[in-house]
Amino acid sequence: MSEEQVSSAAEAAQRQVRVQLTSQQEDIALPESTGPILVPTGLRRYALSTLVNNLLSSEKPIPFEFLINGTFLRTSIDEYLTANGISAETTLEIEYVRALIPPLHIASFQHDDWVSATDVLSETSPAASWASGATFSKGQERILSGSYDGLLRIWNMSSEIIATSPAPAEGGHTASIKAAKFVSPNQIASTGLDRTVRLWKYTEDDEFSGKITPQLELYGHKSAIESLAVHAPSNRLLTGSADHTVGFWSTKKADAPAAPENLLPSSIGRTSKRRKLNTSVSTAQRGPLSLLSGHSAPVSGAIFDARDSTVGYSVSWDHSLRTWDLVTGSLVDTRTTSHSLLSLEHLPDHHLLAAGTSARHITLIDPRASATTVAALTLRGHTNAVVSLARDPHSTYGLISGSHDGTCRIWDIRSTKTDKDGVVGESVYSIGRKSLEEEGKADSKRVGGEGVKVFSVCWDKAVGIVSAGEDKRIQINRGEGVLSSKQ
Amino acid sequence: MAKIDAKASKKRKAVTRDVEEEAGVFSGDELSPENLDGALSDSANDLSESEDDDSESEIELIDDFSSEDEEDEEPELDSDEIPSDTEEKMPKKATIADHESNVRIVKDANGNERYLYDEINPDDNSDYSDVEENANTIGDIPLSFYDQYPHIGYDINGKKIMRPAKGEALDALLDSIEIPKGWTGLTDPSTGKPLELSQEELELLKKVQMNETTVDGYDPYEPTVEWFTSQQEIMPLSAAPEPKRRFVPSKHEQKRVMKLVKAIRDGRIQPYRPPEEREEKEDDLVNYDLWADEVERPDHIMHIPAPKLPPPGYEESYHPPPEYLPSNKERKDWEAMDPEDREQDYLPNDFGSLRRVPGYDNFVQEKFERCLDLYLAPRVRRSKLNIDPESLLPKLPSPEELKPFPTTCATVFRGHKGRVRSLNVDPTGIWLATGGDDGTIRVWEILTGRQLWSAKLSDEDAVNVVRWRPGKDAIILAAAAGDDVFLAVPPIADPEIEKASLDIIDAGWGYAASQPPPSAAEANKKSTPPKWIRPSSELADAGVCVVIPLRYIAKSISWHRRGDYFVTVCSGASTPASVAIAIHTVSKHLTQFPFRRRLKGGGPPQTAHFHPSKPILFVANQRSIRGYDLSRQLLVKILQPGARWISSFDIHPTSSSASGGDNIIVGSYDRRLLWHDLDLSARPYKTLRYHRKAIRAVKFHPGGRYPLFADASDDGSLQIFHGSVTGDMLSNASIVPLKVLKGHKVTAELGVLDIDWHPREAWCVSAGADGTCRLWM
Repeated sequence: MSEEQVSSAAEAAQRQVRVQLTSQQEDIALPESTGPILVPTGLRRYALSTLVNNLLSSEKPIPFEFLINGTFLRTSIDEYLTANGISAETTLEIEYVRALIPPLHIASFQHDDWVSATDVLSETSPAASWASGATFSKGQERILSGSYDGLLRIWNMSSEIIATSPAPAEGGHTASIKAAKFVSPNQIASTGLDRTVRLWKYTEDDEFSGKITPQLELYGHKSAIESLAVHAPSNRLLTGSADHTVGFWSTKKADAPAAPENLLPSSIGRTSKRRKLNTSVSTAQRGPLSLLSGHSAPVSGAIFDARDSTVGYSVSWDHSLRTWDLVTGSLVDTRTTSHSLLSLEHLPDHHLLAAGTSARHITLIDPRASATTVAALTLRGHTNAVVSLARDPHSTYGLISGSHDGTCRIWDIRSTKTDKDGVVGESVYSIGRKSLEEEGKADSKRVGGEGVKVFSVCWDKAVGIVSAGEDKRIQINRGEGVLSSKQ
Repeated sequence: MAKIDAKASKKRKAVTRDVEEEAGVFSGDELSPENLDGALSDSANDLSESEDDDSESEIELIDDFSSEDEEDEEPELDSDEIPSDTEEKMPKKATIADHESNVRIVKDANGNERYLYDEINPDDNSDYSDVEENANTIGDIPLSFYDQYPHIGYDINGKKIMRPAKGEALDALLDSIEIPKGWTGLTDPSTGKPLELSQEELELLKKVQMNETTVDGYDPYEPTVEWFTSQQEIMPLSAAPEPKRRFVPSKHEQKRVMKLVKAIRDGRIQPYRPPEEREEKEDDLVNYDLWADEVERPDHIMHIPAPKLPPPGYEESYHPPPEYLPSNKERKDWEAMDPEDREQDYLPNDFGSLRRVPGYDNFVQEKFERCLDLYLAPRVRRSKLNIDPESLLPKLPSPEELKPFPTTCATVFRGHKGRVRSLNVDPTGIWLATGGDDGTIRVWEILTGRQLWSAKLSDEDAVNVVRWRPGKDAIILAAAAGDDVFLAVPPIADPEIEKASLDIIDAGWGYAASQPPPSAAEANKKSTPPKWIRPSSELADAGVCVVIPLRYIAKSISWHRRGDYFVTVCSGASTPASVAIAIHTVSKHLTQFPFRRRLKGGGPPQTAHFHPSKPILFVANQRSIRGYDLSRQLLVKILQPGARWISSFDIHPTSSSASGGDNIIVGSYDRRLLWHDLDLSARPYKTLRYHRKAIRAVKFHPGGRYPLFADASDDGSLQIFHGSVTGDMLSNASIVPLKVLKGHKVTAELGVLDIDWHPREAWCVSAGADGTCRLWM
């Protein structure tokens, strides 16, 4: 009897299924002639990967990931067939993509204070691509950081500070910076707790020194500004503020209306040291093109539509995602979720908006009117509020999130699993803070992400994943090939 | 009558013993009750005859055996029983008369004449000459018919055959001590004489007994005479040819057969046909079907169906598969086991075929035991309460359904040196204010935990309480440190709001200046309201605008919802009762002491809150909470939570509005959290005792958006509860414990000192004695 069992088990192992291996990428595609192959159902990813490498007869084996019906194969084929109730006699369409490479740590830039914002200037970054004529050679990448000490810093890739923004007395931010972005290779926008949006002129004298000079101060928000979005071709800025409004600004001095008098720092009624310190340098002051009100709680994120700069999206602590027509300044649509939303990113190819919530997950929301459900997918894995999101420049499916739990997580919206709440997304990688590793506490969890909170994350094709956090560092991780490339 | 008696007595001597005996028996019959009575004490009477005169039958029995001295007793007997005696005497006389003459006239019992004839001698040429002379001729009549008479029948001559005397029988018995040959001990029923067997008869009997032939001279072993040979002969005995009739069919038979055939054809003989089942329906007969409309009725209420037994398995078969047969060891084990311990009360047994199965040897035993079961264990429907214990628990919704509520620590606010005593989230929900032992008040960004502003109010005294002014039009922070209460405007907001805040505070200066200054005597009195003063320039630079010197340490601050009043409570035991509770008016820079005397029962006041919608001030002392209507200056409510020392309380934010009445939660140092529904009673509606140590603070979620409340305890944990208040008066608040939040370290026996909720979100913040504050979301 036992012999029979053994033989039947062997039979199961020997059970074969016909698979059709395909790839969307031409460089790794199998020759046309390759028809369906019979493979044992016991194979897992690694065995399949070896098989494809053999078929490709590649010299250096490329690790592959396998997609069946749009989900990654995480078990053996046999288990997959059983789990999905697919007969082993059908021909399986298996698509393979390059496997992901872990996002290795590259460098960390030490700051004096918490780093709240970061942006990258490289040949592939939006600021550079928008700028006409400016060319970037490799090695010219710049990293912008905004810190809680109120200073902007420009770094080169060898962790040297090229330029620092002026102190409050010289026209700098009077409070912590919360968001900063390159508008163009020589213009920077930053904003923060001092309720102003400041535009800076950035000039580089040579490779190792540069200068940030104030260009324009934009007044209009009555409370701390939490987020900033830039659209250089139309010279427009979008800000989200804790005064429940979304600010729509022009970066051109000539376009912008005059600043509201009551909000200028000189209008403060009481004697203050700050006023004495103030304005040794006079900068032009302007007001907003419009302040879009509709939210009932602090606005935590505001972005332009990636395809259409006349459409803006904003998320707020009032649980809602709002779509704005920026031309008329009118509210187009409101999607209400069940949690405070703290960050926002647009995935234009899938018509989805990713919103990080205070409830430790990321909700993918379809903003189109035709969408029937508010949340298309939920990405779970973070253990604290998700406050920053960025797109993967390599793949339309990729996404990175920075959270107060001190990790950045890389998501592939195809990588899902089913749990009790239905289908939820799983993170592909989790990037911890290098500072923790250096302390030798990489494995220990900080309660509430104390000391390691990630405030901002940015993903550039050339530079990689740049994240800034409470550990007073900018951390750069390798971002290439982390996700299976775009199709 | 006497004569007859005498005669009878005389006769008595003459008559044979059997008659006498007969009479005795007779009278004995009459006396049967007594007889029976005596019978029970029979043996005793036999042994001691002298003592009993009461039992007649006894005496008569003795009579029978001792005939001499009966005379004196007999008359007595007769006089007692006249009817029976006379009846019995009559045949006796007749018998006597028979013997005397051919025809005699005698008197019968009634005194009539009676003729008695001589017996007839029949002729000798009788047909029945061979009949025995003395044979009884009564024929086939039971002898018992003659039991009443002295004779037992008649002989062939019509002569009475007298009953053989029993005395003779006694003699015979005595004689038979030497048993004669042929003695049987039986009585010949026809003669009444002892039956004796003759020699021939005895031999006959012996032969019968020996299973021999009774005929004389029968030889059972006679030699066989072969009349016909036992061998089969080949040749016929006769040489005659076989007759013709053996070959020719019989005409006679044919004739008879044809007769039958003809009869069948004619239909005179019907061939046999099995009787058809015909319905015998007779029209005139009416059958009533009593059960035609019978419907099945439900079982009787006491009906208990027999338990369904499982079907028999293989092991119960008479010819089970071999694997079910027990091995020798198993059999031995089973036999060794006590019958009560056996798993099954039989062993599988293989009989090969059904006909070999023996009778059930335990049949009687089993019947007995079944009867015993029925008798001893009657099947009674037990009225056992079959209640699922789960169903007795109140139906509480699961915490999963009551989301959102804080579950994890999202931010740690670290910066205070020493304990954080108090904290408060500002009305916009962006900032968190804290105050601690280091004498500083700090304002933090609530989500990131970034400290935005800090001011040192006092070098040596701790900040006991910080509270933001409600309302979003201004940001004013009230803090109590040491003996003073400070109002500060932290420079974190935009100029417009900052200016509005400063205006609100500064408006009072003029009002205060317009009041006449108090006289010196008044100023010295302790109950004089304090004057609001400007802070030192150092504090003013930090953002503090007003200092109210209370002279006593205020432990509690609570704002009125409009933001113009706040109440402070100095709970120190040394504080005079008149100045313990102060109501401050921001717009007038005015401090008032509304209570002149100490609240009754329960020590110094602990804390006070304004009602969220009514002009009622609730003040708690150690054991009770009192509600005062400020406009009418009346005590309107007294709550007795039953706690020994109230630490804090909070009023439900929707109290007395459209949805529900007043609900108050009270935390006490004796570990209890009490929910009061003011509509119900002065006593708590619910008492929750989940903490191991004192409860320091309790708080409802403000605004009523989430039905949550939380408490903070010295055991270092917070507990989050769901407490929904419904609008209708009929249903009470439902309280569900949701979550225990642990994280604060217990330092010096103190855990979590204060708690607050975010105004919009289901987030709460807690201040710990370990110097940290935590945001839970």
